Amino acid sequence: MNYVFFPGCSLDGTAKDFYLSTLAVASKLDLDLPELKDWICCGSTAAHSSDPLLADALPAQNLSNAKGKTVAVACAACYSRLKTANSRISGDPAIRAKVAQVIGNNYDGHTPVMHFLELLSRDVGRSRIAKAVCRPLSGLRVACYYGCLLSRPPEITGFDDAENPTLMDQLIEAIGATPVDWPHKTECCGASFSISDTSIVLRLSNEILSMAKAAGVDCIATACPLCQLNLDMRQKDIEAEYSKSYNLPVLYFTQLLGLALGCSAAELSLRSLMVTPEPVLSRLGLQG
Amino acid sequence: MMAAVLEIDDINGRSLQQISAQGKVSPMLCYQCQKCTSGCPVASRADLKPHQVVRLVQMEQSDEVLSSRFIWECTSCHTCATRCPQKIDIASINDALRVRSKASAKVVPGTAVPTFNDLFLSAIRKRGRIHELSLMAAFKLHTMRLLADFDKLPMMIFKRKLPLIGSHVGQRREREAMFLRARRGEM
Repeated sequence: MNYVFFPGCSLDGTAKDFYLSTLAVASKLDLDLPELKDWICCGSTAAHSSDPLLADALPAQNLSNAKGKTVAVACAACYSRLKTANSRISGDPAIRAKVAQVIGNNYDGHTPVMHFLELLSRDVGRSRIAKAVCRPLSGLRVACYYGCLLSRPPEITGFDDAENPTLMDQLIEAIGATPVDWPHKTECCGASFSISDTSIVLRLSNEILSMAKAAGVDCIATACPLCQLNLDMRQKDIEAEYSKSYNLPVLYFTQLLGLALGCSAAELSLRSLMVTPEPVLSRLGLQG
Repeated sequence: MMAAVLEIDDINGRSLQQISAQGKVSPMLCYQCQKCTSGCPVASRADLKPHQVVRLVQMEQSDEVLSSRFIWECTSCHTCATRCPQKIDIASINDALRVRSKASAKVVPGTAVPTFNDLFLSAIRKRGRIHELSLMAAFKLHTMRLLADFDKLPMMIFKRKLPLIGSHVGQRREREAMFLRARRGEM
């Protein structure tokens, strides 16, 4: 399969560790992920809540540049925007015509888009990943947190079961760790309100951290830069606001995969995490 | 206005119901089961709940809906639309209501979300990509929330989470023209 990688803006900044660990895992699995040339922002929540045409046109501009290759995405928000634009453009000739006028290209809405979790599960396969493991993460109890945008709306993303997705759990199991059942897999963290309405984020992310803690996990695994930022960078604020103590590391699933595949802590940029995973990893003898 | 009066919103000749249907499932199919509200992460703090928004749309009560806090507090998590037994796309209805709220100058005072969205889109127009540090600085200046999250900056820069210089994409002139065409072609 021929892929082209769409990193998105977060992976260029606050989620640099997601970027580095995604490429590190790809390289261990001999996956070629060249970056989409001159990609632009997908428009994110700002576009779909203020300008519906722009919200379709920005993803379409990127997707039409992929020239038939499968667009691999790591950010759950970009994934959602690209898939939504595809669905609207391919499903409605009037929208397709308007978008064509804006981007100057009659894009048909059919460039395939895959999240890196889907790519690993479906194209690479869990058995190949399990075979490549050189440091099984035995004993590590993980809450796999999917958030909103991978599985919802299911008619558009077609990702997995919308209420109880398991793609990440299965990968985490394949690398020797223990995914736990917990009830907040797909609850919302407050997402894009991280800056514009922080009180929403503190409250929603507190509920997620509290459920994960109650499930007795060593860490949370995420697949979205906004989820990771809200649960990790704001964890101290949340603890202060709600008089709680969590101290729960929140890693990208690619960082856990990378550890199991033999990448170093530096290659996975583990130092970028605000809540350090070091005590947990050293207890289990898993230091990078 | 009096809540009992049916007000047909006629800006651009389209009613609330029309902008909410967007060629998909009509909000008139809602029978108030409240499954949307049960799963909504912000319903407990908002002034309206999702099922109430849909009912108000059915009744064309545009003032209540367009000047509500709820439409700006919705996190776009799509739980409502995913669980609706009638497949009403409440999350997208909400997007349409935000656009209308802003266009008709009914945005509830105190929310900074529309300002954030404007700055976000203007950054894409100029640079092609979002540089988070610049966006945060612009937002602080526009909203005078100068000290919010200031304590986190040194650690985030140290942890390489906030590069001081962002990457640019060229073709600014083409992008500005594209944004202009999008504005003219509004859906």
